[in-house]
Amino acid sequence: MVLIFNIFYQLGDSLAFLLLAAIGLAVIFGMMKIINLAHGEFITVGAYGTVVTGKVFNLPLPIAMTFGVLITIIFGLILERFIIRYLYGRPLDSVVATWGISLIVSQSFLVIFGPSYEGLQTPMGNFQLGEFSYSEYRIFLIAFALFLLLILYYLFMKTSFGALARATIENPSISSSMGVNVQSIYTTTFAIGAGLAGITGALYAPTMTIVPSIGQAFIVSAFITVVTAGASPFVGLVPAAAFLGTVQTSVTFFYKSTIGLIAILCSVILIIRYLPNGFSGLIQKTRSK
Amino acid sequence: MKSILIKNKFQFFTFIILGTLPLFIDSYYLDNISYFMCWTFISLGLAVIWGMGGILSFGQTAFFGLAGYGFSVISINFLGVAGVSLWSVILALILTGVFGLIVGYFLFYGGIYDVFIGIVTLAITLVFETFMQQTAGPEYAIGPARLNGFNGMQGMPTIGFKDIPFGLVEGVTQYYFILILALIVLVFLYKFKHSKIGLVFLASKEDRERVSSLGHNVQRVQLIAFVIASILAGISGILYTNWGGYITPDSMGLVSAALPVVYVAASGKKDFFAVFIGCIFFVWLSQTLAINGKQFAIIVMGLILVISTRFFPDGIILMMINKLTEKIKWLRS
Repeated sequence: MVLIFNIFYQLGDSLAFLLLAAIGLAVIFGMMKIINLAHGEFITVGAYGTVVTGKVFNLPLPIAMTFGVLITIIFGLILERFIIRYLYGRPLDSVVATWGISLIVSQSFLVIFGPSYEGLQTPMGNFQLGEFSYSEYRIFLIAFALFLLLILYYLFMKTSFGALARATIENPSISSSMGVNVQSIYTTTFAIGAGLAGITGALYAPTMTIVPSIGQAFIVSAFITVVTAGASPFVGLVPAAAFLGTVQTSVTFFYKSTIGLIAILCSVILIIRYLPNGFSGLIQKTRSK
Repeated sequence: MKSILIKNKFQFFTFIILGTLPLFIDSYYLDNISYFMCWTFISLGLAVIWGMGGILSFGQTAFFGLAGYGFSVISINFLGVAGVSLWSVILALILTGVFGLIVGYFLFYGGIYDVFIGIVTLAITLVFETFMQQTAGPEYAIGPARLNGFNGMQGMPTIGFKDIPFGLVEGVTQYYFILILALIVLVFLYKFKHSKIGLVFLASKEDRERVSSLGHNVQRVQLIAFVIASILAGISGILYTNWGGYITPDSMGLVSAALPVVYVAASGKKDFFAVFIGCIFFVWLSQTLAINGKQFAIIVMGLILVISTRFFPDGIILMMINKLTEKIKWLRS
């Protein structure tokens, strides 16, 4: 019983990590098709925003987190206004530019805050089951990740903003001729993606050592999860994260963590080759049959 | 041949200057320039597939590392056999080419396009890096060659012949070896660009389906270009290993994977000569800046990247070369 719970706990932990890493990118890359290599740095900004405002103004954690997310949204809006806006429809150039942004941001954090920053304490307590101790906060993260995804699904699939956003991304010129303000839709969608990355950073800030390269821990996981999720990311994200999480946890369990990473990278290569539309494509295919 | 010289006066003079450089500068700076030129081949390879064919690959460093490690393992295994390191260069390049062929076949005949090529190749690079990092134990050895995990490999012999004066590829010999190789590669790439295969490859960037409906085998052409690019990356890997006498898993990390992309994007991905000169310039720049503080060097490189894609999508160096040649023409008339 304890063993089963232990396995589920590990699985849920890596599921939450993959989901939260990917959720902002699912909007920016999955929907807008901008290959945002600075995604990890959005998470860094969220984490630093939380920790620094929390420490300097002595704020309680939830308020510090809110500030962290707000700072990330503002940061995302500034980037969109001055750089990303000119790169819509030039996907390969957006790779290069966002990679440049990621270098500038992570190195600037290194210059400003030094090689590591004193972190916050993990909130909530621990509970005991058998001989193992589990963090309640980690369980909360799993639930929160699923909750966020539901909200996103509702926002992009059920509201009128979501319909406009999907239409704009599908065909900007027709949407524009129908009277949609294409530019403001792009800006808003990008800001939502940045904000989600900020939430990820804020949520993981109390659980990690805050270093300038903290975003690097997320970026690879984020991309492979979004790619595995496929064409409609909000449908495919959960099965994708569950699949990758299972592969990683089980391989790590039997071998070691580096082999676990190699295993998920290889499975992503195979998924792109044999399931080019990812898990959401698979779901749609089986549904239409 | 004569018309090529007349058309490319600027390029011609650059090579004359580079060729006579050892007469004027001392061996320390010469070795540095050799190091900068080591990186031109991987960048030229990326310019072939990205600039000509619109295929952005982050996997060039995987080929770079594979060739570097392959060369080290082979040459250490046959240490002491006369002239063997030349053979290990060729074997390592064949290994890299075959791996490029397998990866390229998987990509192009598997119907993987655009962004996904970038992600698959990045994943391959990271698999290599992660695997090499955990090879510290004694069980990871091929013959007498230990892979050594994080610390990387050392102790490979220098390329060349011991018994011939200036026969070893180091110092001035290394400089000329790399320079002549670069010249050969540039001429070859120029020919490739204007060959039938090259033209089909160029056209495939604009519209893959239209080119293939005209009866060209697009996948085969893309595969050929990909293999050329992977061998070029391999040349860089071997020259780098030979220059410093070591190769580490770091050379295949996320940052290393993006460096050639920076050099090519900022130089001008559509012109091989601009990539050659730009690559030397940017490696020099990042090294010079790194001496005065590594963090600031990386910030400056990032800024160059953002500014060049935002304002000069055709590349800063290419734009400067074009301005210069225009000015020369204007002065002459």
